[in-house]
Amino acid sequence: MVALSLMDQTKVYDEAFRKTGHVFGLEKLNRKDSDPGTYEAVWHILSNLCNAAWATGCKVSSSPIAAEGGDALWGLHTPTGEAICISRGISAHAGLLADMIKNFIAAGYEEYPGFKQGDIFENNDPHYGGIHSPDFDMCMPLFHEGELIAWASCVSHVADAGSVTPGSIGFLNPDCYSDGIAISMERVGEHDRFYPWYEKRIASRTRTPDFVMGDARGRLAGCITIRERLQEVIEKYGLDFFKEASREYVEDSRRYAVGRVKTQTVPGRIRKSQFKDLAMKGKRVLLAKQDVDCMFNMPMELTINADASVDLSLAGASGTVPFGENISPTALKSGLMMGYSHIVGFDMFNSGPISAWNIEMPPDGSWANPYPLDFQAASGVAWAPAVTWVSSLYEVFGRLFQMRGFIEEMAAGAGTIMTAEFSGINQNGMYLTGLTLEQASQGSPARGFADGENSAWCIYTPEADFGNAEISELYYPILFLGRNVAADSGGFGQFRGGLGHTAVWMVYNTPGLEYQCGDAGMRSKIVGNHGMYGAYPAVPDRPAYGHDTNVKELIDAQKPLIHDRGGPERPALASVIKAREVQDNAVAPFVTPEPLVDYDIIVHPIAGAQAMGDPIMRDPASVVNDLNERWTTERVASEVHAVVTSKQGGSYVVDEGKTEKKREKVRKQRIKRAIPFKDWWEKERKEVQAQAGMDPAVVQMWVSSMELSPKYAEELRKFWNLPEDFTFGAQ
Amino acid sequence: MADFHKADIEKLIDGVLPWPATQDMLKSAKDTDRFDKYVAIMQERVDFDEEILLPLTPMLFIVAKAGERIVQCRCGHAFGDYRVNWKLSALIHVRDDEKSMSEVYRGREMPDPAWIQLREYICGGCGAQLEVEAVPRGCPPDFDFLPDLDTFYSEWLGRPLPDKSEFKDLTLDRVAEWSE
Repeated sequence: MVALSLMDQTKVYDEAFRKTGHVFGLEKLNRKDSDPGTYEAVWHILSNLCNAAWATGCKVSSSPIAAEGGDALWGLHTPTGEAICISRGISAHAGLLADMIKNFIAAGYEEYPGFKQGDIFENNDPHYGGIHSPDFDMCMPLFHEGELIAWASCVSHVADAGSVTPGSIGFLNPDCYSDGIAISMERVGEHDRFYPWYEKRIASRTRTPDFVMGDARGRLAGCITIRERLQEVIEKYGLDFFKEASREYVEDSRRYAVGRVKTQTVPGRIRKSQFKDLAMKGKRVLLAKQDVDCMFNMPMELTINADASVDLSLAGASGTVPFGENISPTALKSGLMMGYSHIVGFDMFNSGPISAWNIEMPPDGSWANPYPLDFQAASGVAWAPAVTWVSSLYEVFGRLFQMRGFIEEMAAGAGTIMTAEFSGINQNGMYLTGLTLEQASQGSPARGFADGENSAWCIYTPEADFGNAEISELYYPILFLGRNVAADSGGFGQFRGGLGHTAVWMVYNTPGLEYQCGDAGMRSKIVGNHGMYGAYPAVPDRPAYGHDTNVKELIDAQKPLIHDRGGPERPALASVIKAREVQDNAVAPFVTPEPLVDYDIIVHPIAGAQAMGDPIMRDPASVVNDLNERWTTERVASEVHAVVTSKQGGSYVVDEGKTEKKREKVRKQRIKRAIPFKDWWEKERKEVQAQAGMDPAVVQMWVSSMELSPKYAEELRKFWNLPEDFTFGAQ
Repeated sequence: MADFHKADIEKLIDGVLPWPATQDMLKSAKDTDRFDKYVAIMQERVDFDEEILLPLTPMLFIVAKAGERIVQCRCGHAFGDYRVNWKLSALIHVRDDEKSMSEVYRGREMPDPAWIQLREYICGGCGAQLEVEAVPRGCPPDFDFLPDLDTFYSEWLGRPLPDKSEFKDLTLDRVAEWSE
């Protein structure tokens, strides 16, 4: 029998799935049923094989991002691209890697240039399913006795992808032509070697070619590790077992996720509005069109059907932005798959769980589907809107788990991601640009039974590790003056989010250093719509820096320096340091107007996560504990949590009687102060119609949301009883 | 299949279950009767007698009352048909200027009121803060969850409710009544 091409095989599988609802049409899991022990054992062997690739690849790569932060991922796939299992690392990419392989097959590469052992294929181009240029996606076909039996894949986040500004968080990129080096669905090597022209392109078109090629070799080493170890698995268990079991793992995982939805959630429709700011007006930008403030509308509507399948809609998403913060639907789906893997389908993480999702194509021309209307849209840091949107998924499922009583599975929303990147000459006279890993250790979301953990979690990677300070100091011309937990950074609720932290850096030993306070999913003008069960959302990201400072004099005189961010009304920077330029309440993101010099100071906050529950239901003992740990402040304890305390022997203690009375008073005040919703609606609808007090960025957001999603617009008009032809901005 | 004691689930809800036992709950296969245990616990804790059909949030419940399914606060305060966003029947306090926002967020931690407003939904019965929204002016309130109750009970739990109710969002109908 002539074997089907991979393209035809894909069609057969798609049709089988459509008919049966089972991935590959697998109505029975024969290998699992007949030999569950071996089935389970081989899963773990394959999983460990990917982890071995991760360990090998990260060490072969010399870049601090991979070697220190583990910011990479390896995967093993079926011949038609479905992920069977992945390594530890940045799990957000599993869907991207699977879709990349599928894209190579769909584009006819099997016929030309063909697939053979030792071929190396790559893509980082968002127009062809990549997420952003610094994430280099690689795959290699794996053969056994002439038959393509699997793919190995990898992604690594390079330090610099040659975009218009140095580094890898290209939020300032005005269009796709400024996004940097493009590897557009290419074969970049054969016989386990990169083509010389690939290396030359990286050498001339990235700012840190040694690190970028180091990452490439790391990716290759990991993929070869998978290939060699897989050969051992096949020799021991047989090719037929591997082929059949690997398909079953994907279907098995789908069943697990569907089972969890059915046994742990409730059918129905969930809606979650979400917004994100990008305030750039008046800042250092590249093109005139970027002198603008933007607001993203990123709604999530999720419907759980009777068969436990899940429909997902982004209707209402606002239009593209003239910055590198637009994302392709393929990449967004991968981000969603990552979030889903954390929440629902994490037993055997692979392509299975998301196959039960029906994802409606986001509106054409929105930030989530830019190219139909805006082919030039930039994606320098496409993760920025994606992770902010995916944050809603944690809360959505947290709410669903509560309804079934699975309190232990509940989570509130995630923290934001604000990055720090440096570029310039370091203390060794070497040009360097790259990302610190501070943002990889946020607070974790509040749980249904406890606060989140401080500085121990990250939405885009289970490798929540901000790396060793000393390693960052080795690469970048900075010294840590502080790295400490930030009070009140986890929202205010019955259970608070895990707290974030503050990194305080002093620039040292450089002729000049650019500090790019980047947006990989931050908010600076607003807070997230994460007031779950009555909590107040976590505070906005507000960094600080001082340029041309008196810090050397302070050091020489052995006077106090700055070690944290300080209170919200008394920022530490301005109260301790004198400088020619002080920004102690900067709206992120931004690039410093001038290069920073020795003894300049940066105060870089990392977000805590979101809280849940009425703040005055917080256990007073937890409030007092936070006070004694300096994780909250007297004002928040008293005014937000309504806890009455006193100090005894240097420690805070709670006055339970007075606290209960105070809380009762707050409840009564709330009822007295609030008004019936209808009364507010009658007043507010007039304000909406008049667009009163609305920032132009908000108005423009509504204009594009309503233009791109007519049904969403119709519902909005109906809710506020606006004329049928009402549009924002048209006054 | 795991079988957790009701007392332990109560401790979990109250945040006092020891961490090893909580981890056990996280790692073990889930107990199939958790929903019933949870509802039973909440039924004992609420200040009303109506039968809980679904705990919508830890404070709000869909209950069966006089042949209707309505949303009710823990204190017994009623919010009406569960297919109308309950927020329309709540009290609301909106912070949309610096003065009112400064009661929560101070200094550099304050969001910009020209970009978002903070909407606090308050129970008119007990003063509990049920939800907070941080959204720009113009955003309709989120209808957080409209359950398909009949599918849930009949197909997922295998015990149909005695009556039926169409799975339909009636929020805009309520707004239309206000607009007449």
